[in-house]
Amino acid sequence: MMRTDGGFVRVVLRLAQAEAVADQSPSVEAEHMLLALTAPQGGQARDLLAEAGLDHTAVQLALAADVERSLALVGVRLAAGRMPRSSYFPGRKPRLGASAKWVLHRAVAASRGGPANRIEPRHVLVGLLNARVGSVPRALDLAGIDRPALIARALAG
Amino acid sequence: MPQIEVQETGDPGDGLAAVVALRRLADRLEDAAVEQAIGTGWSWSEVAEALGVTRQAVHKKHSHRLAAAGVSPRRRP
Repeated sequence: MMRTDGGFVRVVLRLAQAEAVADQSPSVEAEHMLLALTAPQGGQARDLLAEAGLDHTAVQLALAADVERSLALVGVRLAAGRMPRSSYFPGRKPRLGASAKWVLHRAVAASRGGPANRIEPRHVLVGLLNARVGSVPRALDLAGIDRPALIARALAG
Repeated sequence: MPQIEVQETGDPGDGLAAVVALRRLADRLEDAAVEQAIGTGWSWSEVAEALGVTRQAVHKKHSHRLAAAGVSPRRRP
């Protein structure tokens, strides 16, 4: 059973939900949580990402580059590099996707044993960076981000 | 016509990422194409048949979105 104090987790999930809506995604995924951490509310996680050269735009570009690369592997090229757009109306709020749940599990693990024993922004960042597979590590690798170094800085607090 | 060429990279992560990207592309393409079809006079039944799903399924999936966007079925001249 995953337990959180609800504080920052609630904040980051609300921000990630807004990112999912903007992305026309039916679910909140890990990539939306990464985008959420670049908001001012991301605190220390935002600062660590910024030090690595990752602001909101840079993360968006990295994620788009991964999608473009993945589609290219199966011979698909997007016109103007963009997905087709349509009118979007979120009939219901995007649900929490599997990749976001994994991030939260890893964030809880990263927070254990800390002095405050609660989930801080840096723990969510570690939860994202510790993913071995998926769009987030692929995008960050494409952007040339040294994930182990960033994890070490985040854990050092 | 350009050929679709699937590259083998030897990394299963690449293949799985391509599946995710293709699913997302298909979803976006469906949203845009259904909106265009309804906006240009296709009926829900025609859209459903073209997609190979039931009228109820396509209506349930897209009608709220299109109504909110002000796109409604209209008779073709």
